[in-house]
Amino acid sequence: MTTMESTAAAGSRPTGLRRFLRASEVQEVLALVIMLALIVLVMASNSNLFLSPRNIINLLMDSTTVGMIAVFTTMLMISRGLDLSVASTAAMCGVIIGTSQSTIGLWPGVMLALIAGALVGLINGFLVTFVGINPLITTLGMLSITRGLAFVFADGLTIPVFDLSGEHQATYTAFTQLAEGRLFDIPYPILVMSGLFILGIVLLRYTTYGRAMYVIGDNEDASFLAGLPVRRYRMIAYTLSGLSAAVAAVFLTSRLYAADPRAAPNIELTVITAVVLGGTSLAGGQGNLFGTLLGVLILSSLLNGLKLQSVSTELQNIAQGLVLLLAVGIDQVRQGKIDLGLWRLFRRQARASTQ
Amino acid sequence: MMAENTSAAPLLEMRHIHKSFFGVKVLDDVSVSLHKGEVLALLGENGAGKSTLIKILNGDYTMDSGEIYLNGQHVQFHEPRDAEAHGIRMIYQELHYAPDLSVTENLLLSELPRGRGFPGRYIIDWRQAREIAQSRLKLLDLAIDPDVHMRDLPVVERQIVEIVKALSADAQIIVMDEPTAALTPPEVEMLFGIIRNLCAQGVAIIYISHRLDEIFEIADRVTILRDGQHVATKRVDEVKLASVVELMVGREIEARRKTLALTGQESQVVLEVQNLTKLGAYEDVSLKVHAGEIVGVFGLIGSGQLSLTRSIFGAERPDSGSILVDGRECTIRHPQDARNAGIGFVPVDRKVQSLIMGQSVRKNVTLSNWQRLARMGFFQQRIEKDHTRHWVDSLGIRMAGDMEVPIRFLSGGNQQKTVLARWLEANVRVLILNEPTWGVDVGARSDIYDQLEALAQSGLAILIVSSDIQEIMSVCPRILTIYRGRITAEFHRESVSKDELLAAAAGEAV
Repeated sequence: MTTMESTAAAGSRPTGLRRFLRASEVQEVLALVIMLALIVLVMASNSNLFLSPRNIINLLMDSTTVGMIAVFTTMLMISRGLDLSVASTAAMCGVIIGTSQSTIGLWPGVMLALIAGALVGLINGFLVTFVGINPLITTLGMLSITRGLAFVFADGLTIPVFDLSGEHQATYTAFTQLAEGRLFDIPYPILVMSGLFILGIVLLRYTTYGRAMYVIGDNEDASFLAGLPVRRYRMIAYTLSGLSAAVAAVFLTSRLYAADPRAAPNIELTVITAVVLGGTSLAGGQGNLFGTLLGVLILSSLLNGLKLQSVSTELQNIAQGLVLLLAVGIDQVRQGKIDLGLWRLFRRQARASTQ
Repeated sequence: MMAENTSAAPLLEMRHIHKSFFGVKVLDDVSVSLHKGEVLALLGENGAGKSTLIKILNGDYTMDSGEIYLNGQHVQFHEPRDAEAHGIRMIYQELHYAPDLSVTENLLLSELPRGRGFPGRYIIDWRQAREIAQSRLKLLDLAIDPDVHMRDLPVVERQIVEIVKALSADAQIIVMDEPTAALTPPEVEMLFGIIRNLCAQGVAIIYISHRLDEIFEIADRVTILRDGQHVATKRVDEVKLASVVELMVGREIEARRKTLALTGQESQVVLEVQNLTKLGAYEDVSLKVHAGEIVGVFGLIGSGQLSLTRSIFGAERPDSGSILVDGRECTIRHPQDARNAGIGFVPVDRKVQSLIMGQSVRKNVTLSNWQRLARMGFFQQRIEKDHTRHWVDSLGIRMAGDMEVPIRFLSGGNQQKTVLARWLEANVRVLILNEPTWGVDVGARSDIYDQLEALAQSGLAILIVSSDIQEIMSVCPRILTIYRGRITAEFHRESVSKDELLAAAAGEAV
């Protein structure tokens, strides 16, 4: 009876706020807001430090590497792509900055790192779209390659990135300012991450590129037969993913004063967890950046809160893994791949009523 | 080979079957009977109700009313499993097999013999498996090596393995849906040999095919359905092909033909294909479509027409030949090139190949026209909405809600109109349609034909590829036939009979 009423209500067109609230995307975002609020509440009740301005800035700073990359991973995953190589690409790009400071200089090194990141993405895109290798395998291979290259370039060592000789003080101060500088009391990395989210939202909502992501992810064949340059869009998405890893690496290196081939461990998992938690479907065609932003905030609040309570890194990893599985489980239910028995029950009843 | 026991109680009786979907009657008081050892051909056009009837027999659908008797006993099938338990087997057009497993494995998939005792019971006894497989193949005098991978067999042998698999246990009735669609004539003969062999062993066959010549060769009786009603059941040796066709089609064709006078021909050529060849698919195809003309290409499924249309649209690469639009040669390497040249393409399966199911009507309509609707990559939202509204109104696309409703909530006919709207929005000069009313019900079908005729009248050049002879004869004034990738003949609708068309499409000299 209640279902009858609700379908009848859905039939009459609701307007304005009610219609907005009824949209499933909006409902999912609201669910995430509630989840975030709960985590904040629990963490804050366990630790006075959690809600201190300093910790909030810390928490947000910790989320910037993941956040910057997650914007472009979201777009990629909406188009039914995947990039596991982002974290090790970031490490490699950091090392490129570290090793090139003594040869071509710091800022040219930064440029080189950005180009290298984009190039890795381009190669991923080429292998996936033109050679036709499964994205999971392609980028898993690239994960291994770029992490290996990071160790080779750095000789396995952590390379300090600051003015050892004292000759290029201005250059290095500027570089350090990337992570430490503030505008209206907000550190640059947080501003840059916010900027990238806004850019991503605009791209996804208003541009042909953004719509191509949704359309290709929903039905690649139909997009191709409608005359869209599917391969070109895919190449762009992978290239941007690689480039975003390089951008994240620049800020990470600035913040750490060092380039570490071990940097950003398992960050690709955190990124994918945040994106899937945020409602981007593994099957493609669905997703939005508000969800991803909330996913990033939920994960960093969780990890930050656990850290404040001196929970070990190992346990943090376990918590993160559980969140990933939970998020994927929710996605499966949403896609209707798991019916929780309701569908079968419904069919049985329908059959009983016809006889 | 019909058994002498016509007088005996039938093996299967379906009595007074009724079925409606969403208030549309699909089966209206249909009764069918089937005797042991006979081949019953089930005939009717697309949408006549054949597949619904078969799905009811297989327990896929529940009937609204009616009864099924098997060996004189009343039975009820709720699920395919129930039908299977009563010895009813389906062999579908698309085969369901594991290509990288051997024939033995495919035959015994769920019942591979195992050893005894503790480790033995978890280990497959391959020698025994092979023997069982061989003995089953021998039942039908087949010389298929049970160790060969399915992938390495010719299509007909894969099909035969499927039949053997269906036979595995106590099969009484085998339903074959278009079994010869992908077969060459000698292979068809081979399949018929198997069918005769089965009948001799007492199995009854329900045979569905669009190829009428086959029906006359293999079937004992025909049951003809039209618009969900049982029209006639006759012994094959008592009827002629022409009368069967007439029973299938009714008089609709004559009625439609008069509505459209000769069009096109005098006007300019919009699409011209010259000597297009793709080895293994089609060869040396040349054709012209004038502005305002509807040209039909008629051929049996698998005659190369699908590949041909995909090649004109740039979704496949031809080996040689050229494509001209408005007399200018176009280099078409990608659907995008085709669209830019003014060619639109409506594929067979709109759900899989046309529609973006999760997106709105608006985004589906404008999908092929981004270049004109976006400036610097940004959509001009008001223009996009205005354009969508225009097509929704002029094509009469009906939907619950506004143009922001996801396309998956529209009916099949309205979805197909959305696909038409997409190409009109892209301002194409030529529209190529592949089986335009595949899976569209009778009512929506004539609606789409009307739309196509109206579009032709407004100057569009339309090329329709279909294996549905009635569709071809009712919408296309000029008809080309294709057989094994070659255009075999050209006809004008007014001066050709169904038999002639069928003969040309079956490769017989005209």
